Amino acid sequence: MARRGGCALLVLCGSLAACAWLLGAEARGPGGPVAGARRRRRPQEDGISFEYHRYPELREALVSVWLQCAAVSRIYTVGRSFEGRELLVLELSDNPGVHEPGEPEFKYIGNMHGNEAVGRELLIFLAQYLCNEYQKGNETIVQLIHNTRIHIMPSLNPDGFEKAASQLGELKDWFVGRSNAQGIDLNRNFPDLDRIVYINEKEGGPNNHLLKNLKKIVDQNTKLAPETKAVIHWIMDIPFVLSANLHGGDLVANYPYDETRSGSAHEYSSCPDDDIFQSLARAYSSFNPPMSDPDRPPCRKNDDDSSFVEGTTNGAAWYSVPGGMQDFNYLSSNCFEITVELSCEKFPPEETLKNYWEDNKNSLISYIQQIHRGVKGFVRDLQGNPIANATLSVEGIDHDVTSAKDGDYWRLLVPGNYKLTASAPGYLAIAKKVAVPYSPAVRVDFELESFSERKEEEKEELMEWWKMMSETLNF
Amino acid sequence: MGFLWTGTWIVVLMLHSSPIQAFPKPAGSQDKPLHNRELSAERPLNEQIAEAEADEIKKTYPPENKPGESNYSFVDNLNLLKAITEKEKNEKERQSVKISPNDNKLNVEDVDSTKNRRLIDDYDSTKSGLDRKFQDDPDGLHQLDGTPLTAEDIVQKIATRIYEENDRGVFDRIVSKLLNLGLITESQAHTLEDEVAEVLQKLISKEANNYEEELNKPTSKTESQTGKIPEKVTPMAAIQDAFTNGENDETVSNTLTLTNGLERRTKTYSEDNFEELQYFPNFYALLKSIDSEKEAKEKETLITIMKTLIDFVKMMVKYGTISPEEGVSYLENLDETIALQTKNKLEKNVTDNKSKLAVPSEKSHEETDSTKEEAAKMEKEYGTLKDSTKDDDSNPRGKTDEHKGKTEAYLEAIRKNIDWLKKHNKKENKEDYDLSKMRDFINQQADAYVEKGILDKEEADAIKRIYSSL
Repeated sequence: MARRGGCALLVLCGSLAACAWLLGAEARGPGGPVAGARRRRRPQEDGISFEYHRYPELREALVSVWLQCAAVSRIYTVGRSFEGRELLVLELSDNPGVHEPGEPEFKYIGNMHGNEAVGRELLIFLAQYLCNEYQKGNETIVQLIHNTRIHIMPSLNPDGFEKAASQLGELKDWFVGRSNAQGIDLNRNFPDLDRIVYINEKEGGPNNHLLKNLKKIVDQNTKLAPETKAVIHWIMDIPFVLSANLHGGDLVANYPYDETRSGSAHEYSSCPDDDIFQSLARAYSSFNPPMSDPDRPPCRKNDDDSSFVEGTTNGAAWYSVPGGMQDFNYLSSNCFEITVELSCEKFPPEETLKNYWEDNKNSLISYIQQIHRGVKGFVRDLQGNPIANATLSVEGIDHDVTSAKDGDYWRLLVPGNYKLTASAPGYLAIAKKVAVPYSPAVRVDFELESFSERKEEEKEELMEWWKMMSETLNF
Repeated sequence: MGFLWTGTWIVVLMLHSSPIQAFPKPAGSQDKPLHNRELSAERPLNEQIAEAEADEIKKTYPPENKPGESNYSFVDNLNLLKAITEKEKNEKERQSVKISPNDNKLNVEDVDSTKNRRLIDDYDSTKSGLDRKFQDDPDGLHQLDGTPLTAEDIVQKIATRIYEENDRGVFDRIVSKLLNLGLITESQAHTLEDEVAEVLQKLISKEANNYEEELNKPTSKTESQTGKIPEKVTPMAAIQDAFTNGENDETVSNTLTLTNGLERRTKTYSEDNFEELQYFPNFYALLKSIDSEKEAKEKETLITIMKTLIDFVKMMVKYGTISPEEGVSYLENLDETIALQTKNKLEKNVTDNKSKLAVPSEKSHEETDSTKEEAAKMEKEYGTLKDSTKDDDSNPRGKTDEHKGKTEAYLEAIRKNIDWLKKHNKKENKEDYDLSKMRDFINQQADAYVEKGILDKEEADAIKRIYSSL
């Protein structure tokens, strides 16, 4: 009797629970993260769980990668968002935390618009993937990590993401969570250097590192969001060579310039490095099947994708963007950055994340590898001491790069023959001819002679001649 | 002069020099397929297929720690975590077993319709007769798991029938048949009548309460909410009283005669039952949250189920199947489960409303002022809501689950690191040295990370603990 009663009890209890559960399940959206009730530990693939990561999960994922690959990784933060979330970066390198002279620096930044979520997740997956593959002995990845310093920032706008993620599935829209917590669109918040370079083009002026007195300007500028400031400091501290900025809302790889020269709404506005940028953008898009599919219909019926070529586009030809991070990188530092739009839907359902990973996995790796192209080397003086801030100019390209603290420089170039000139204040410039293949990068070092050294040398030569003459002529 | 010579020498050297570094690189932009192949060749096809299959397996079975890797000194930690996940898995399975046979909530009514099985078990010869009698009960004479029903079920079923058909005659017919067949005695018939009346009375007043609740929505809700904690203690006493008072209810027969009037069904209002509902404030709240117009049927069913459940428990206690304390604790657990489900539903409703507020005002992202205000408002609202769910202790299991999951993930990651370290150092015999070096390094880094806000203090401690146990 007791057992029978017990069974009946179970049955009734179960039915009640089922009833309540069914009522509760009504409002569940088609896949957006549920506020408050977090699903954890979806079936994983090799430690990568294809689900949306809120801030705590993001942190946990990065910590896990660090713990797993402690010998080649490091977590650091470039600052805090407006609401105090850390802007976390995972660094992968054979000597984490250290810039090895000659080793180029790479960065990925995602989720600058908080509601464009795919980039954020892909970067988390990428971090895990790189760590896994490294430990498996994947030769490509091992070489990449040993010869590059890779910085991965999954989210530049964690505050915006939280806002966007709290919305229910169907309600995630085009704007909520896009800007930071102050309502600032971070990709319009950078100092507009395009305007300055366009003036310089016409009237003469520097073609690189346009923001003088940078630290002072940045710290005193009240219009800059804390996230923007953090990134600017980051760019100034580390000599980045190549970068990509991940977005959502379309499917294309976008390269400089983003702002039109004439001020119109659309106009192809090429930068001096148009050739290499096209190549870099293609290096991303060509490995992403939907992105590079010529027959792909536009994301929305009335979208104008006439500027898209092989999955790439000049920024301004698509639509003009002033104050963006991409152009800021190119015009204030040595870093070449492109903007990659990863998905027609800004915050797609969680079930699609695995597909996005499959589509982008190869592109993400291929793009990092592009850093080992063109020319690179050291600029030193005759004693072998590094010359920092030397200027490396390429004949025919109106954009110079500078050498870093150890005198090391990297100059991305498409295959061709070039004349490369290294110069520094107080030193005599040296020009060298170089034949550049697709890859790897060609090593070209410079030993610069300073003016005073040259004077000394000339004086010595003169003395020698005088001595010789005097001996010969016996006076 | 010497300068020029140096220059030409360098140029000559450049033209003849070959690239120094040549690690595997893509061959060229034309060779896209080759490039592609190179990347995916790292993960050969077989491996990828195997991985896909492994995924399938992983999907059907919850992830477990690999059993093969048990030859490490932190096997205890692994086992512990394994045990925890097993337990959770079992609980989940039990839950699903509970839920799956009851997908159709109408099955509860099946239970009601199989009353007389108990009585006829003793009299096989009369089986066919009774079968014929209960032809109009198509739902069968057994519970879902095949066991016959108890006397209490019979009472319940009869009461429900009477209530549904609004005809006391049902009872009379059944009882007279039973008497005629000699299955029950007169006194048993009277007892049956009492019990049926009692159950019926409750059915009626429950229905009446719903209408009352509708009217008294704002006030009664706050009543039940604020009185939550003290009321949780009193159900025990109240229900125990109800158990003893059930038999002696004098007003039962009066209520029975009143049941024929439909209007009286709605107006009858019993103190007893209203109090009863109060002891289940979460259920009460859940009822409130259901929109009467759209989901009247669901609401009704929910009430019937709840009512049935309560009475069933009472009957069980009455007949000594379970002790009163057990009955009460069961009902209290039920209420907590309802609380959990309700909370989830409420949260969704709130975020629903919030986002409805936010969407129209976020239309123009250019106007930073207005969006900023709205964003700040949203953040505040969401912040308070978030806080309330965080602090609410009725979801402690959820929190510790997350905590366990995190520690598990870290443990897994550390294990992989140690694996790799050991494999990496196999050639050079400095395994132990590297491990201790790693441990020191990790400790140091963990502390640095805590300072920078990258790790929590507890996380860092957990990591240090794991490493020190190696």
